Amino acid sequence: MPALPERVSLLGIRHHGPGSARMVLAALETLRPELVLVEGPPEADGLVEHVGELVPPVALLMHDEAEPSTAAFWPFARFSPEWQAMCWAHHNGVPLRFADLPAAATLGAEDEPDPVSVDPLGVLAEAAGFDDPERWWEDVVEHSGAGDPLALATAVTEAMTALREEFEDHVGPRTLRREAQMRQVIRQGLKEVTGPIAVVCGAWHAPALRELPTVSADNALLRGLPRKKVSGTWVPWSHGRLAAAGGYGAGIAAPGWYAHLWERAEAGDAVPRWFARACQVLRAEDLPASTASAVEAVRLADALAALRGRPSPGLAEVSEAALAVLCGGEDTPLRLVHQQLVIGEELGEVGAGVPRSPLAADLERLQRRLRLPASATERQLRLDLRKDTDRERSKLLRRLRVLDVQWGEPDSTRGLGTFAEAWRVRWDPSMAVAVAAAARHGTTVAAATELVLHQRAGSVEKVAKAADVLWYAVGCELPAAVTAARRALDRCAAAATDAVELLSALPSLAGTVRYGSVRGTDPELLRLALHGLLARGAVGLPLACRGVDDETAEHLVTALDAAQEAAGLAADEEHKSLWRNALLKLVGLDEAHGLPAGRATRLLWEAGDLDTDRVAARLHRAVSTAGGATMFVTGFLRGSAALLAADPRLFDLIDGWLTGLSAEAFADAVPLLRKAVSDFSAAERRTLGERVATGGGGISAGDGAWDEPRAQRLSAHVRGLLEGAGR
Amino acid sequence: MTSEPVLRPSAEQQYAGELAALAAVDDRPRPPSWRLSPQAVVRYVLGGTLSDGTEIVPKYVGDRRIVEVAVATLATDRALLLVGVPGTAKSWLSEHLAAAISGDSTLIVQGTAGTSEESVRYGWNYARLIAEGPSEAALVPGPVLRAMRTGAVARVEELTRMPAEVQDSLITVLSEKALPVPELNLHVQAVPGFTVIGTANDRDRGVNQMSSALARRFNTVVLPPPASEDDEVEIVSTRAAQLGRALELPAAPPALDEVRRVVRVFRELRNGSTVDGRTQLKKPSGSLSTAEAISVVTSGMSLAAHFGDGNIGADELAAGLLGAVVKDRVSDTAAWQEYLEAVVKERPEWRDLYRACHDLDTSGYA
Ligand SMILES: Nc1ncnc2c1ncn2[C@@H]1O[C@H](COP(=O)(O)OP(=O)(O)O)[C@@H](O)[C@H]1O
Ligand SMILES: [Mg+2]
Repeated sequence: MPALPERVSLLGIRHHGPGSARMVLAALETLRPELVLVEGPPEADGLVEHVGELVPPVALLMHDEAEPSTAAFWPFARFSPEWQAMCWAHHNGVPLRFADLPAAATLGAEDEPDPVSVDPLGVLAEAAGFDDPERWWEDVVEHSGAGDPLALATAVTEAMTALREEFEDHVGPRTLRREAQMRQVIRQGLKEVTGPIAVVCGAWHAPALRELPTVSADNALLRGLPRKKVSGTWVPWSHGRLAAAGGYGAGIAAPGWYAHLWERAEAGDAVPRWFARACQVLRAEDLPASTASAVEAVRLADALAALRGRPSPGLAEVSEAALAVLCGGEDTPLRLVHQQLVIGEELGEVGAGVPRSPLAADLERLQRRLRLPASATERQLRLDLRKDTDRERSKLLRRLRVLDVQWGEPDSTRGLGTFAEAWRVRWDPSMAVAVAAAARHGTTVAAATELVLHQRAGSVEKVAKAADVLWYAVGCELPAAVTAARRALDRCAAAATDAVELLSALPSLAGTVRYGSVRGTDPELLRLALHGLLARGAVGLPLACRGVDDETAEHLVTALDAAQEAAGLAADEEHKSLWRNALLKLVGLDEAHGLPAGRATRLLWEAGDLDTDRVAARLHRAVSTAGGATMFVTGFLRGSAALLAADPRLFDLIDGWLTGLSAEAFADAVPLLRKAVSDFSAAERRTLGERVATGGGGISAGDGAWDEPRAQRLSAHVRGLLEGAGR
Repeated sequence: MTSEPVLRPSAEQQYAGELAALAAVDDRPRPPSWRLSPQAVVRYVLGGTLSDGTEIVPKYVGDRRIVEVAVATLATDRALLLVGVPGTAKSWLSEHLAAAISGDSTLIVQGTAGTSEESVRYGWNYARLIAEGPSEAALVPGPVLRAMRTGAVARVEELTRMPAEVQDSLITVLSEKALPVPELNLHVQAVPGFTVIGTANDRDRGVNQMSSALARRFNTVVLPPPASEDDEVEIVSTRAAQLGRALELPAAPPALDEVRRVVRVFRELRNGSTVDGRTQLKKPSGSLSTAEAISVVTSGMSLAAHFGDGNIGADELAAGLLGAVVKDRVSDTAAWQEYLEAVVKERPEWRDLYRACHDLDTSGYA
């Protein structure tokens, strides 16, 4: 097989390895090539010209034009050898091209890379007993390389050749195809320029590029690759993302430390400056960290390195010194240093000249106008919706959530009232995929959101889903979408045959009614929709409770509670009374399932629409219908522990009912009662337990037909039940 | 120095042979006043085989990095503070470091609520003081002052148990490396090599907490409790075997299975749950440290040697276990009983231990 022409130099690197970056930079300076080839997707060739407008960390984002959420990133840190090669080519006006399979062939492909190929130099380092491959590179490779970067590159290629022989069967078909493509690009380059060519690729691939087989052999390997239209752009990336191993992360353990080494290499003050920065991090948290301590930390790190026979302190030594000197041996402050320095929170920048989708441009414009920069650190945001800027911010965050860009997370843990909202915002660079995916829906955030909501409104079938769309549309303040969602709601409500479905949608709608006015939607229109649902649900309710199984009955209870609250919050008097009448009708219906019937009884009683005597009567009636009785009581009791303990008449009622049950009926009742009681809080159960323990008060012994032992047994049982549940 | 046998020889006496062998092959640079290079000190502590074939027994079993940070700290003549729960080998490591570095581990101040400033720095021979007036001859130097004069390591045990003002008297010593003796108009300056190893108990934190001014003078190294059961078994069996040899016990080295059982009992009670996480246990009041586990095993060995067949078994361990667990008659007895009934009894292969503990219980506490 013909050897690779002499004028092509292979620079095998460790991806994101600062040591490799130094080698590449020095080698390029020595070689002064006329063409630089870098491992990467060829579709991104056109994006290389923007290198001057970027501040790393940044990533190439390539996505399928037909299906933009099918996307992949190629991240670069400042210390990535590929990045340094791009910068060198840029500054020296040398053309640079990517050499690897097209993204079209790899996007959405699931196949895993060969395990060794991911970090072959790491494998060598580990074999040499180093836990940090970069340390091995510095201490062993560079120190023996004696300053000749090309000799170093040759040595790397040779080491990899040996390693590849050893791991021969680890090389999968995908790697072979990638390398065939790399050779094709080299052949192309050889035709284009007559001078030297530098190839920057993962060290693993270098041995496969030392020889050039026939073009037809490589073509055969590349036949039948999938074709797709792919487009791409540059997006800001973060150190946190570089450190994350899964998902789109690169799995670099210490990007912040590497970046620091890279920056300070020339000045030679990496270690002292590292501790100065660590002290600043600690002081910012009000932890003591004096300059004197920083001096001692440097001394300890140096002494440790000397003790271990290392030329200079590495991450292990600086971390151990920080722990002993700056952190008093405690992990917590060290974690701060780790988070903020070792990993780092840097977010890259992409200049205005870099092409982006109109949607992404609109988003950036809005971020600037609303002074809401994308930042990798989480921020708490409190918005006052009466202020224009805050309202716009809320609108933006809500619209982005519709577009699946989860930049802001509403913080519902704090109740702030109608005019205030709390958010947690944190920009994760991989959200760029969602932005790219949303770009097909419109050219502005507003237009894209409106389209998405329209589509959703058009396709919903369930009332609750339609109510959700309405909630989003109102929150996003998009009137056309509000109209569409209202229409969808009407459509679904008309089609709904199930009272549960209708009633379950009410809470979301009630919330929308309440906040609608803040959001610039006429609340009366929304109330109209709510009334429509309530009326329909109310009519269907009693019937829906007949002949249902226990599971459906549970759903009915949930729906009843929801509707009750929603009606109280948002309905007018007329519809409130409509609802009340539906509940009364349900209570009067003998064939109704006990659970919702009991529940309705309690709701009415709590609202004062049924007095205690009527409840008593209703309970006794339930008792006489044997089987349904327990259900009725369970439904009745749920969530009403306080009432039970506080209202003696109610208490006596339940107590009397229980004592009057037959032994079998009582045994049946126990698990269900336990269930009802287990809803209560510990404090409520304790109160109830005490209440029972003190004798329950006015149990009348009737007309002397009192079965004393049985009563003892029963009340002991009840007491045990309540106390047991109270634990 | 006499060659009379002593009950507990100091580290430099007991391991004189190892230290001499290490010094003989040590070709690395030594910091001022050090008997060994930092590398050789690390080797002395962690053990290994020298180029001349001498075996160095491991003293501290644990993370090499911890020992390296400790030694590097002392090599920069900084003071070292070893922190940890009781029985994590703070004193043990401190003694061996002092022995290896200075050849003298006896310059020691024991910290208690009653420790006075004199015992840290210097006192007076009052007979002389009255007879001759203040003079250097009447001065009785404390361990710290002696270490300063010879460039040695001074040890301060249980630093946080000393009253705050006594602690603070160390500040000048550590920051100025000098000690004024105003009565003699004297300013004693430390010889290079002088430094201090302090130990402090984690549980004492907040009782007599160190002032931040003093804390800043130390590099702090936390000695963790053994991370896993296997680590702890290794420590206990190594140390028990060494101690057995030192006590000239004719007993066989402890069977690993018995050590493992003791360690399991200790860890389960310490954590308040069984290893499988299924059973919650009452935690006894004592610290149930590794050090105590070692002493349960060694006293078991001595029982086996003197009263048994030389092999350690359940009968030999029972008394030691009871003694280690029950520090408070009432609450700890309950915890121990619960453990016996709920855990020990349920393990078929622990029947012998259950019986042994049970017999002991009824006979000893009837
Ligand atoms: N990691 C360990 N390596 C070796 N011995 C240990 C270890 N942990 C505990 N020990 C043993 O525990 C015993 C007592 O430790 P000690 O130094 O008194 O504890 P501390 O001072 O921390 O309370 C020593 O005999 C020591 O051998
Ligand atoms: Mg101690």
